[in-house]
Amino acid sequence: MKPAPFAYERPRDVASALAAMAGDGVVKVMAGGQSLGPMLNLRLVAPDTIVDITGLAELKHVEVAGEELVIGACVTHADIEDGRIPDVTRGAMQRVASAIAYRAVRNRGTIGGSLSHADPSADWVSTFAALCATLSLRSAKGARLVAMKDFMLGALESVLQPGEMLEAVRVPVMSPSARWGYVKSCRKTGEFAHAIGAVLIDPEAGRARVVIGAVEAAPIIVDNAEELFGGRITNDFKSRFDARVADTLLSKAGMSDAADRHIHVTILRRAVAEAAA
Amino acid sequence: MRNERDISPAAPASKQGVGARVPRKEDDRLMRGRGQFVGDIRLAGLQDVAFVRSPLAHARIRAIHIPERYRDVVFTSADLVGIKPIRAITGLAGFKPSDQPILATDKIRQVGELVAMCVAPTRAEAEDIAASVTLDLEELPAVYDMLKAREPGSPLVHEHWGDNVFLESFFELDITQALDAPIKVTREISTARQCMSPLEGRGVIATFDHRLDQLTLYTGSQMPHIVRNGLSDCLEMDQGQIRIVSPDVGGGFGHKGILLPEEVCLSWLTMKRGFPVRWIEDRREHLVASSNCREHHYKITVYADRDGTLRGIDCEATVDSGAYSSYPFSACLEAAQVVSILPGPYQMPAYRCRTYSVATNKCPILPYRGVARTGVCFALELMLDLVAAEAGLEPGNVRLRNLVRPEQMPFDNITKKHFDSGDYPEALRRAVAQIDIDGIRARQRKGEDDGRLIGVGLSIYCEQAAHGTSVYSGWGIPMVPGHEQATARLTPDGGLELKVGVHSHGQGLETTLSQVAFEMLGVDVAKIRVVHGDTAMTPYSTGTWGSRCMVMAGGAVATACHELGERAKKIGAKLLQVDEANVVLVDGEIRGPNGSVTLKEIAHTWYRRPQDLPGDVDPGGLEATSGYKPQRDSGTFSYAAHAVTVAVDPDLGDVEILDYVIVEDGGVLVNPMIVDGQIYGGLAQGIGTALYEEMPFDRAGQPLNTTLADYLLPGPTEVPMPWLDHMETPSPYTKFGVKGIGEGGAIAPPAAIGNAVNDALRGLGVEMLQSPITPRRVLEGILAARDAKRTAA
Amino acid sequence: MNSVELTVNTRAVKRDVEPRTSLADLMRDTLDLTGTHLGCEHGVCGACTILVDGVPTRSCITYAVACDGADVTTIEGLDDDEIATELRAAFTREHALQCGYCTPGMLVSARDLVKRLPDADEKQIRIGMSGNLCRCTGYVGIVRAVQSVITERRARDIAPEPDGGRKVLGPAGSGHKACVSSQKLMPAQPAVSEPAAAVAPLDIPDFTPSTTLEQKFTVAHAPAKVFALFDDIAAVASCLPGATLVGTPRPERVEGAIRVKIGPISANFNGAARVERDEANLSGRILGIGSDQRSRSTTQGEIRYRLVPQDDGAATRVELSIGYSLTGMLAQVGRSGLVRDLAGRLVAEFAGNLDRRLSGDVTSAPSAAADLNGVSLILGLLRERATNVVRRLTGRGGSA
Repeated sequence: MKPAPFAYERPRDVASALAAMAGDGVVKVMAGGQSLGPMLNLRLVAPDTIVDITGLAELKHVEVAGEELVIGACVTHADIEDGRIPDVTRGAMQRVASAIAYRAVRNRGTIGGSLSHADPSADWVSTFAALCATLSLRSAKGARLVAMKDFMLGALESVLQPGEMLEAVRVPVMSPSARWGYVKSCRKTGEFAHAIGAVLIDPEAGRARVVIGAVEAAPIIVDNAEELFGGRITNDFKSRFDARVADTLLSKAGMSDAADRHIHVTILRRAVAEAAA
Repeated sequence: MRNERDISPAAPASKQGVGARVPRKEDDRLMRGRGQFVGDIRLAGLQDVAFVRSPLAHARIRAIHIPERYRDVVFTSADLVGIKPIRAITGLAGFKPSDQPILATDKIRQVGELVAMCVAPTRAEAEDIAASVTLDLEELPAVYDMLKAREPGSPLVHEHWGDNVFLESFFELDITQALDAPIKVTREISTARQCMSPLEGRGVIATFDHRLDQLTLYTGSQMPHIVRNGLSDCLEMDQGQIRIVSPDVGGGFGHKGILLPEEVCLSWLTMKRGFPVRWIEDRREHLVASSNCREHHYKITVYADRDGTLRGIDCEATVDSGAYSSYPFSACLEAAQVVSILPGPYQMPAYRCRTYSVATNKCPILPYRGVARTGVCFALELMLDLVAAEAGLEPGNVRLRNLVRPEQMPFDNITKKHFDSGDYPEALRRAVAQIDIDGIRARQRKGEDDGRLIGVGLSIYCEQAAHGTSVYSGWGIPMVPGHEQATARLTPDGGLELKVGVHSHGQGLETTLSQVAFEMLGVDVAKIRVVHGDTAMTPYSTGTWGSRCMVMAGGAVATACHELGERAKKIGAKLLQVDEANVVLVDGEIRGPNGSVTLKEIAHTWYRRPQDLPGDVDPGGLEATSGYKPQRDSGTFSYAAHAVTVAVDPDLGDVEILDYVIVEDGGVLVNPMIVDGQIYGGLAQGIGTALYEEMPFDRAGQPLNTTLADYLLPGPTEVPMPWLDHMETPSPYTKFGVKGIGEGGAIAPPAAIGNAVNDALRGLGVEMLQSPITPRRVLEGILAARDAKRTAA
Repeated sequence: MNSVELTVNTRAVKRDVEPRTSLADLMRDTLDLTGTHLGCEHGVCGACTILVDGVPTRSCITYAVACDGADVTTIEGLDDDEIATELRAAFTREHALQCGYCTPGMLVSARDLVKRLPDADEKQIRIGMSGNLCRCTGYVGIVRAVQSVITERRARDIAPEPDGGRKVLGPAGSGHKACVSSQKLMPAQPAVSEPAAAVAPLDIPDFTPSTTLEQKFTVAHAPAKVFALFDDIAAVASCLPGATLVGTPRPERVEGAIRVKIGPISANFNGAARVERDEANLSGRILGIGSDQRSRSTTQGEIRYRLVPQDDGAATRVELSIGYSLTGMLAQVGRSGLVRDLAGRLVAEFAGNLDRRLSGDVTSAPSAAADLNGVSLILGLLRERATNVVRRLTGRGGSA
């Protein structure tokens, strides 16, 4: 189980990485390689060239800029888990990071790689959507910002254009009154999620953002989730959570299997309960 | 109870002999990365092989297109002139043999079947070449479902058979007597197809030595001597021209108890090309192509009285044997075994069972740890709980009513299985007490704060192990175990070498067989070397399978050591200048009335200072090979009662194991630490069978779980810390009273867990009768029951 | 070839490797450090776990070139390591290994956990070791061994290091050779030298679809006109995004290809189709088969149609029954079956394209030129399957 041959480039900076991405044949960007590696080994993917961006210092840069934490795309799950970057989410990202796959995978897997891969089951896809993060994308034409909620088009499909790479994730500082809940359902520790519920509920502001993830498509994002809580977001949001509304939401989103809906609603209810705890 | 342990222990019980928790001799090299597995062997000029395998389950080969520049490094069946297919027959009446081609000839019968062999300096390059080979296949309808395969008009795996049944087996005794029983429960129960998944896959290196005129095959195998038999048949070579070496092996569990077409291929290739060649099975090949196990279906009716007394069992069982009869166990061992072992440790007056070994377009099955017992135990034990529910009795009490009792031992059951010893009810009573069924019932009445449903489940089984000639001659498969042999040799420095034909790949035989030798000769375990895994260096053996090594190889080592001791006594008596009748072997020395001489001194004299020996010394020397069979070779019967408490999440279907109890009776334990390890490991595999592992196929016969991200093996968080208790009822027939225990841990868990889940779900009217019990199946069952209730209301 | 410099078990080594060579293969095959084992080669089993820059890493899915300049420690380098020595004693005492194949990776992960975990909590140890599979021991001895070493060390006042000693950001092994100039390293030999020109199938066999979906719609044209359009294979093909035709279509045989791209996976199904029609009943079918050489996958599909006159022949109800099957590597990963509502949506889209085409709205139908991200019935099937392939392998939040 060895990959088909590929050429390898390790560019000096983002500009040369973008130039390399415009090279001949099929070019794949690789960061930690924890998703691409298995597919290369299985020969499901056989690019002509791999562009390794993990040497780029710009992509490992982290800073708090105003009300946002800007995290370079090549920051790893373990970097977040271990607190090597500032915490603006009161531990939420740290907890999510610590439950991604396994430690050895987290030591190389990156947030940028995970998001670029656009796997619906990946934790950051749902987490960043719920945290109202913005993604900074860069191509030879320049940079653009895309809200995480608009990034995914479907399973393994994002708005990333050919020749464009994810440069950084911008995570807003979480408000002190906001409550966070994140629950996923996996058959085994570290395995991919069958259902994800991510909620950011701010009873003081009367706002809630709800994400139903791992739905085999782009996550279902409810920006103004009052309807899930009987019309308004208050401190008793846990008891106000209306599973029937969630079920209807999933039906409308095309989830026709009752067991699937049951699982997702259950996980969402538990995420809400975690936020209330 | 008679126990051979009393017969002739030369050394007193000590911390090294039988019964001691001796740390393993194997560990150090393995913990330092210095084990030597097949993939670790380096030979000059070694090249790698990758295979082109069939993407289709059932097809005719129209053409194989090989790019011109690779013509001399790609080989197909057309090249294998004179090589015979693998043929594993049985002597059972009505058996239909199959020829497993080494490389596919005209027809393909499973996904992953070998079509072409590609050789290159590295595996990556060999895979590049394989990727360039194009197959032109005409797809045929796949036989993917064993029940449909039995129906008339099904596509045929082997056309000339006329149907898809390798073998039909049948037993009946007085079933009509049971039909008026007040309780009659009928269900269909099934177990999924599984992959044995040792962490190391198969691996083969073949090389030919022209000086010795000998092919050496390094292969990770449980049974090197049997591989030699099979290879000699396929290649039509003298056995003396073939040497099989099985080095460190990364887990077997049955997966490495088979002659592989790859072994034949590489043997041919190295002789054809003159350089050593290697093939290392990758995980995809393992999951897709190599061999599966466990796929059973039961249609079973249990008849009982209101008090739970069994009146009879009527069963039709089908086993999906895959496309070919694999060597040496054949396609029929599993299904035919179902007939004889379904009654388990229970007494019943009536029994009928018909089984079918069915050919399908899937890879062949192999006897996996527990063989048919895991499926049988799942079916029967689930049924007993349903009988208990029907009768309104505690499941444990239904079992106690029907279990064979200690005073009946030795006991011949309804299928003439001969139970050697044991107290089955006591094991069950201990398990029931430890799991605290009364406490759980109270907890169930109260309900859980988190809304989960608690259930408790029991299961009990018997594990016939180390069964020998009389049993296997009846199957008539290519391998019938006879006397197990061992060689014991004192080295000139007073060390001891033991040579055995069985193979140790995790069982710790390098340690336990040394303990046996210590028990017999008093040679320090640290000074004993166990040689195994090499046909050139060890006596013939059918190898490691059927939980037989401790009984058979242990017995053989004891016998050989006894013989060696007798020889040492003869020499020692000469050195002590006393009559042989007046010396004894104690603590590694020969003691006479007026002095003693150590084995080390005897060895030194015999080898290095023969001038010190009198002329009339016995010439037998200090190397003894002896054969061993237990007094009865119908097998030892170890057994265990398992009890488990689970919590079922009714909203997700997740099953969590809260508590797990095992009360095991494996006879006399040579090394309790190692026995515990076997049971813990078996339990983990049993949990895999119960809750996680499944190889599904689609209607085209395509296997669907082809990576370890799909085929889920239990990890550390999926397995509990069990509570383990031993009873040690000696076998009356074996050396030291030992019994085989290697497989047992994997037999009972699916049944116990299934019963616990069903106990938890009973209030909802949900029954799980199919393994693995996945969250999806549980949840769908719960939702369906709710819908049904709503519809009814 | 690419030259890679590493420090391996404190020794500086420099070797030429292909870009595709994993760190594990470099250790095993080139440096003969065979204590690093391969159990799955897709990052799940943990047998290949080694230390890269001091932290555990999957060496089977980490390429050696990507770790240029890194510090690597394999099991062979832990002979004199203090924690490893304590762990080995505990592993033997607790019988934490049987066949020993998982053991090197297990010890590497256990060593990291011993450093990081504050106390010997059984559940945390199990979670911490969950990336390493053992098939022999049931983890009982392993968990006990790790527990005992943590307990002893904490009793000796050795503080935990929650970050395992890592202080810099980014993937372990990265960033040592921040190269001054890009380097383009060619593989040893071209990939598949005689690429993927899968032989067009000799015949187009009948088959039983694994999945069949129905769709009906009505168009305001006479049945004869609609029937004629169904005879135009090029027109029908134009409703399949990614489809291209080669040669001159004939009813008994039309050759072509469909390109599918899903995430990083792309497949090119070369094949052929044939058209059958029953003029008397205004029905017919299009039956096709195509193979992707690289993934050794084959798909078969059929479009059955029946035209029912409506409004006295002024309009036509088109009844479509679309079936397909997939075999080979792309079929061999993922759940059996298919999410019917997704497939249903795709069929609806295909039918919609046909509808528009039949209504003369050629411009809004997707062009026959490859729209790689487009959808069609067959693409939908592949997308679903391939999505499962990718998701199963990578849906653990790893990075591409």
